[in-house]
Amino acid sequence: MTTGEQERVVVTGIGLVTPLGNDAGLVLRRIRAGASAAGPPTGFDAGAFACPVCAQVEVFDPKLYVSEPKMVRLMNRDAQLAVAAAHLALEDAGVKPGPTYAPDDIALFGATGLAGLPLREVTPLICVSAAPDGSFDLARFGQSGLKVVSPILSFKILSNMPFCFVSINESIQGPNAIYTPWEGEGAQAIEAGIRALQAGDARCALVGGCDVKTHELAFASLQQHGLFSSWSKTSKGVVPAEGAAFLVLEIEKDALDRNARRYGCLSAQRLRPQCDREDLFQTRLAGLRSLKIREVEVLVGAGNGDAGQEEQESAMLEAAEISVRTKLYPKKQVGDLFAAAGVLQVALGAALTFAGAKTVLANCFGHGNTQAAFVLKRA
Amino acid sequence: MKRRVVITGLGICTGVGCGATGFWEGLITGRSGIGTVTVFDTSALPVRIGGQVKDLHPKEFGSAFPEAAGERDRKISLGLNAAAEAIRDGGLEASALAPALLVVGVSLETFFLNDVSPLAHAANLAWALRGIIQGGAGPCLQTPLDQLASVLGGYYGFGGGRYTNCSACAAGAQAIGEAFRRIRDGTAELALAGATDSVLNPLAMGGFSLLQILSTENDTPTMACRPFDATRVGTVLGEGAAFLLMETAEQARQRGARVYAEVLGYGSSLDAYRVTDPEPAGKGAALSMAKALSDAGLRQDDIDCVNAHGTGTPKNDVAETQAIKQALGKRAFQIPVTANKSMTGHLIAASGAVEAVASALSLFCAVVPPTINLTNRDPECDLDYVPGNSRPFRGRTVLSNSFGFGGQNATLIFGKHE
Repeated sequence: MTTGEQERVVVTGIGLVTPLGNDAGLVLRRIRAGASAAGPPTGFDAGAFACPVCAQVEVFDPKLYVSEPKMVRLMNRDAQLAVAAAHLALEDAGVKPGPTYAPDDIALFGATGLAGLPLREVTPLICVSAAPDGSFDLARFGQSGLKVVSPILSFKILSNMPFCFVSINESIQGPNAIYTPWEGEGAQAIEAGIRALQAGDARCALVGGCDVKTHELAFASLQQHGLFSSWSKTSKGVVPAEGAAFLVLEIEKDALDRNARRYGCLSAQRLRPQCDREDLFQTRLAGLRSLKIREVEVLVGAGNGDAGQEEQESAMLEAAEISVRTKLYPKKQVGDLFAAAGVLQVALGAALTFAGAKTVLANCFGHGNTQAAFVLKRA
Repeated sequence: MKRRVVITGLGICTGVGCGATGFWEGLITGRSGIGTVTVFDTSALPVRIGGQVKDLHPKEFGSAFPEAAGERDRKISLGLNAAAEAIRDGGLEASALAPALLVVGVSLETFFLNDVSPLAHAANLAWALRGIIQGGAGPCLQTPLDQLASVLGGYYGFGGGRYTNCSACAAGAQAIGEAFRRIRDGTAELALAGATDSVLNPLAMGGFSLLQILSTENDTPTMACRPFDATRVGTVLGEGAAFLLMETAEQARQRGARVYAEVLGYGSSLDAYRVTDPEPAGKGAALSMAKALSDAGLRQDDIDCVNAHGTGTPKNDVAETQAIKQALGKRAFQIPVTANKSMTGHLIAASGAVEAVASALSLFCAVVPPTINLTNRDPECDLDYVPGNSRPFRGRTVLSNSFGFGGQNATLIFGKHE
């Protein structure tokens, strides 16, 4: 669906917490300068896995972004990152729930990744629940295991928690939904925000994604799901990352009325699942064709470092007859933020239109059920 | 002009019964689906009861859904069961779903603690994990939460979009609400929406028991969940799945489909209060109901029945009662308010979808199921909760509430189809 016939939706705020920085302009400058956030994980020995590196947020104090510091101890790392990025986005947009828009007029749509089991918190439970032969013993688990974990463990592993903390921290009460778990789900959150605004369900939408793939359980899962298959002694592949990205969206007229900065206009989007008998190339190509664009100034490409991805993306653009002047591949340098990646792609696209690009294509291709692309235009 | 959206297929699997007919018979006769959990040995846990689905045979799905063969996660099997039933019940061939929309609600991943027991005395967690996964041959440590959407997509197509909503206990209602809005607004023609969940595993049952929101009345499982009763001590976890086949009223009429009910409105809100407790005055929940009423273009007096979230926890039931009174005014005292969880237990993500099925069947069969185990009404819960026995129902609308851990609220309004 394109948004052309409906009220224009603009990006008025960007909030990022990424391994290459928390400011969209800075992240873009670092990407253009060839910087890379990839490095050996600080928390574990990546030598155990096919992928030797990840992209971490090095300097981060969640207490700087929360209204009640004690809230931080209830949060997993993904929630901490989400709360920070959401706060930065609202601050950037100059939106204060209450004074700017009623709390129930602000929608919240988000995407989270594979949980969240805080392995290091759960390890003591596993230890005391183990029988002498090392097997899991339900009797020990019941008698001793549950005594060594936090009572709020269940809340921490619920996938919606990062966004519930965002709503509490910012007093947001509007329409909401949380999607999971891959790159395309961030695009679903953006689409849901656009729909809520155009349907009149909300006057402002905070949309975002968060993910943490920089711990050993994530590495084990990604390897198990084949996502490290490109890595070898001679070739590189996806770099798991952590971070969060949020956008503030508004109907353009409302943004103009309050003299808000408009980063860019979300002029078209296409979200498409892989259909019967299609391969991934065809799915993505069909999505790009349906955007009905001929020329973009900048491509924010989805290539994540896996072998052949960039070439495939270029071939798709050629087949869709879309000419591109400049190509950026943020995931190669920031790392793959998975559930946050789609929103980060669009956030960087919005920063580029604000910096002068006339049209930007942000591809949110990835794993899972949804392949998405957004077109941004100068507001 | 907005299009009318109707429900033409139902699929459900809960401890009360599997299949719409069995479920409904159980519900209106007040049959509890709660008993001692037998999925694993619960004898050392403080909570040993749950709304377990009996006779679930995951391997039977292997031929129809080869991707799910060998799947250990019960929510996948439950979801496949309910989804396939809804499609069959709607009288559609599998190929008809190729362009349809799919929205699935889920809550949290299932972790099998026995898989990770080698971590117990490992000097190095990373290397121990590598040993567990055995380069891909070991047990799957994390089944992605979109697994059910992927399997259903692989079999039926669902080219109109595949969404996996993880809004905790509001996920099922949000999934149905999203599908409803998309059909009504013209961006989808046909949708399968619902949710699945199973938290009957050691980590989830043990973890939730630590929150002290679960009933520990293990010796009297069928009476353990007592929504709105003065003696209620907590909720009971359950498992199950429910899916609704939804389409435009016009399309249903053209193909001569049986219509269970119409979807009239949907609203969602956030408490923005605490992740561990509902907002005590019920303001967020009332807001969700108000948004659904507005979306449906209805007034307070147009609501004829409430299918409550009704968990049986001391805090929820008082807050929800307050919320219903705020949202519906004096009408709240004139209509039945029923709590299906008294029989099914709390199915977390799936609860909203299960209660949507119950709401649709209330309208279709003209019966309101009871709230069982309600014999000592809490003075702070002063509405008509349909205690004990089901009742004939001549109303035209049912409002269904789902409130999620963390403060996400969703409300659906269903209407009698005429």
